[in-house]
Amino acid sequence: MRLGLKPAAAVAALALAATACGGGGSGDEKVELRFSWWGADDRHETTQEVIKRFEKAHPDIEVTGEYTDWDSYWDRLATNTAANDAPDIITMEERYLREYGDRGALLDLNEVGDQLDTSKLDKLVMGGGELDGSLYGVPTGVNAFTIMADPQAFEEAGVEMPDDETWTWEDWVAISAEISEKSGGDVVGTQDIGFNENSFQIYARQREQSLYDKSGALNFDQGTMTEYWEHMVRVHEENGAPSAAKSVELEAGGPDQSVLATNSGAMAAFWTNQLGTMEETSGRDLELLRFPGESASAQAGTFFKPAMHYSVSAASEHPEEAAMFVDFLLNDKRAGELILADRGLPANTELREQLTSELPEADQESADFLTEIEGDVAGAVPPPPIGAGDVVDITMRVNEDLMFGDISTDQASERWMSEVKDATGGE
Amino acid sequence: MTEATRERAEPREETLADPPETADRRLGRGRRRSNDNLAAYLFLAPWFVGLAFITVGPILASLYFSFTDYSLIGGADWVGLENYTRMLTDERLHTSLGVTFAYVFVSVPLQLAMALALAMLLDRGVRGLPIYRSVYYLPSLLGSSVAIAILWRRVFGADGLVNQLLAFFGIEGVGWVSHPDYALSTLIVLNVWTFGAPMVIFLAGLRQIPRMYYEAAAVDGASRLRRFFSVTVPLLTPIIFFNLVLQMISAFQTFTQAFVVSGGTGGPSDSTLFYTLYLYDTGFGSFDMGYASAMAWLLLVIIAGFTAVNFFASKYWVFYGD
Amino acid sequence: MVTKTSAARAADRRGEQRRRFFVHLGLVGFGLIMLYPLLWMVSSSFKPTADIFSDPGLIPDTFVPGNYTEGWTALQFPFHHYIWNSLIVVAGSIAGNLLACSMAAYAFARLEFKGKRLFFSIMLMTIMLPIHVVIVPQYILFANLDWINTFYPLIVPKLLATDAFFIFLMVQFIRGLPRDLDEAARIDGCGHVRIFLRIVLPLSTPALATTAIFTFIWTWNDFFSQLIFLTDPEMYTVPIALRTFVDSQSQTSWGPLFAMSAIALGPIFGFFLAGQRYLVRGIATTGIK
Repeated sequence: MRLGLKPAAAVAALALAATACGGGGSGDEKVELRFSWWGADDRHETTQEVIKRFEKAHPDIEVTGEYTDWDSYWDRLATNTAANDAPDIITMEERYLREYGDRGALLDLNEVGDQLDTSKLDKLVMGGGELDGSLYGVPTGVNAFTIMADPQAFEEAGVEMPDDETWTWEDWVAISAEISEKSGGDVVGTQDIGFNENSFQIYARQREQSLYDKSGALNFDQGTMTEYWEHMVRVHEENGAPSAAKSVELEAGGPDQSVLATNSGAMAAFWTNQLGTMEETSGRDLELLRFPGESASAQAGTFFKPAMHYSVSAASEHPEEAAMFVDFLLNDKRAGELILADRGLPANTELREQLTSELPEADQESADFLTEIEGDVAGAVPPPPIGAGDVVDITMRVNEDLMFGDISTDQASERWMSEVKDATGGE
Repeated sequence: MTEATRERAEPREETLADPPETADRRLGRGRRRSNDNLAAYLFLAPWFVGLAFITVGPILASLYFSFTDYSLIGGADWVGLENYTRMLTDERLHTSLGVTFAYVFVSVPLQLAMALALAMLLDRGVRGLPIYRSVYYLPSLLGSSVAIAILWRRVFGADGLVNQLLAFFGIEGVGWVSHPDYALSTLIVLNVWTFGAPMVIFLAGLRQIPRMYYEAAAVDGASRLRRFFSVTVPLLTPIIFFNLVLQMISAFQTFTQAFVVSGGTGGPSDSTLFYTLYLYDTGFGSFDMGYASAMAWLLLVIIAGFTAVNFFASKYWVFYGD
Repeated sequence: MVTKTSAARAADRRGEQRRRFFVHLGLVGFGLIMLYPLLWMVSSSFKPTADIFSDPGLIPDTFVPGNYTEGWTALQFPFHHYIWNSLIVVAGSIAGNLLACSMAAYAFARLEFKGKRLFFSIMLMTIMLPIHVVIVPQYILFANLDWINTFYPLIVPKLLATDAFFIFLMVQFIRGLPRDLDEAARIDGCGHVRIFLRIVLPLSTPALATTAIFTFIWTWNDFFSQLIFLTDPEMYTVPIALRTFVDSQSQTSWGPLFAMSAIALGPIFGFFLAGQRYLVRGIATTGIK
């Protein structure tokens, strides 16, 4: 609900603000929509342009963008959702989808199926927005978690790039250690990858398990996780990864300050859509590698993740117009050619094909990589349970304690599992 | 001639020279003021309106939420004292209390001592006073923008400025903000470093001390040191008291710096998990606003307790001119 | 110092000079440490985004003034739009705090009335709850008043003396003023309004200056409430605008972000420089009538 200013308040606001304010002016009955997203200035600019094109195509609809950075985004969304004043169209992330969807804050998009066509969206990620038969979000694009490698760093260290179709987790540890050693410590083998629970997701899937099942319960053996932590510990022990304290700093620094960005490491784990950014900040050609252990295990662990979702607020006064806007974002070439791979490789497979040639080089590489692994992906990952937002923090704490040597790998698994069970209310 | 010495040179007081030692007339308080009710309520009118329409509602709402299971997004379900009993077994809450208490009791005295010492130094008619004052206030101006977060990591990082300096002297540094053993101490240093606000309040307080008291004391032949203890300190006690109370309240609520340095996680390994950081994370990260509200009320009780002690103790050391 | 020989006086002077020299040396050295963050920020604002994390020096290897022009225009509105918004909020907040808090402080410091202790305790209590648990009810309150995306939620509370910090600050200052002054005025037949306006306020210049300065700085830097109450980019203030350069998962525009962060320091530092003159206008220079 867009709160128009009352006349008296408007006069005062004008005197107070001396800036022209919303309200539109004349009495034409435009439908006003609010659309929220997170990101940096480039995304804001592109998205504003997309909004303009949509408004041109639908002169009776006016869309206001509400944008900020990732952290602030969730504080604001929680607050205005609590006050029943959420934006009409909400950019969602899978970890929060259930949080909002299960509590009735999001519209079941099946209700607006006439306005929103989902038939062309990639099936491997469509499931990510479905909960018990309701569709709470549609994927904006596709991503995969990979090992990003810097061939130049390998070369300088005199270490050969691994064959990512056959390498094992042991190879990963050995290669990392070798790079650190041969470079004399100037370049580390790999940045710590244990901070991200998706590394374990891949590890578990390789063993025909997964982080969560469809109901949101944990879906792996404690032994599997302990084994996984063993690899994480060994890569530190053999100096394949930076010291514990340094790893904490790198993790806090984000992609811009990662070992790849500062040319001080050979490998790190990132999402495919970060390739362009990473190439730009590092000034080098980087390569996407599959996670280790893909062929040596029962099945490949790699999975496609919806980069983000578009959702519609259940409190929206104009659900149909909101759905039209989402449809425009996803299926209309006028939007697609602007957004390109900014929100993951387009989820609309037809658009993806049409646009691939227009993508920047790095995104084309990601697209090729995704096509290459597509055949191996063993099914979609169900949306994480309520409370999954906490899992990031839990993983971080457990990984820190493990790195600093305060707990054993057994204790790490035990703690991770019990804390996640508490947070997600699962069994 | 500096501003300070010029001020001192101006005789102004004549009729009012009334040294503080003899000014203790607190006993006579209230003797002639009984009809002030109406005037007082009028002066307080804006505050009453603000209290009734803006402040009280949200405060009572949070009290109510503290007895509910409230996810922000869904409704609030009454659970009685459950949130409060849960605190007894919540180990992270205990960790956060430990971190916060350590922080309050170390950083507040240090920061106030630093602020007072520099305010004294700068109040002594040093040439270029406004420049020093401004420069010293700078770190407090910076706030908590993203740029500042980056700065702290650069300064205190494993390869940061501090360690480069240490390396120059052949000392091997540590990860000052990224090692659980040092992160809290680093935050305390950072807090002491932003002593600008209490320093400015002290400076303002020093300037409010009527010069006549000093002159009267000088006429009595009091030495500089004696003047400091018999004039400056007693007359500054209300301001020292103010800084103590407010710095303590705000130290208990410390959020921004911890958030900035740890990226909101309280890490590494919960070593900088400040109480309000945990509270914020519970409310907005875990969508458990009911429990977060209960935590807020526990904090209120703790802060109110310490503030009450402060006020009680102030009777013995704070001197008011009235 | 009553009578001294000229030689002794010269020695005194030399000693005094040496003492001063060391005082200044210490002050300057200390000042450099305090200046470092500012220097670093300004220096970074002239570096290309890619160099900010790889080039640790204070003097940029590559000098990029373009960060400023880029930062100024990179967002939906030119950056002065956000500065203007911030200034409106700041001006309203300062006016509110100066007026409403000093009135309340006068009552608490100088008047005897029923419920004084109770009200004073309540006043202090209002700053003891962390903002995070009251922000949601506040949002609901302001949404019901149709105040979201206006500056009212940020200014009106200040006009209603909700900032207890400043009330308490002024109470302490006013209580430090000699009571003889208002007593004398009372005997002359002055009412409370005149005592407040003619005696207490002028004598509280340092406290008022402190209030104005702190309100400026804290409002200017305040992030959370502005983030929550202003959701339309047209109403964004400086701290919110700065955040829109940041993308923690992808590439942040560090260069422009640092350039605009440096610019954002300008107004608060300028205000501090201008306002601090009044910090020193103590009782000795104000004049007492």
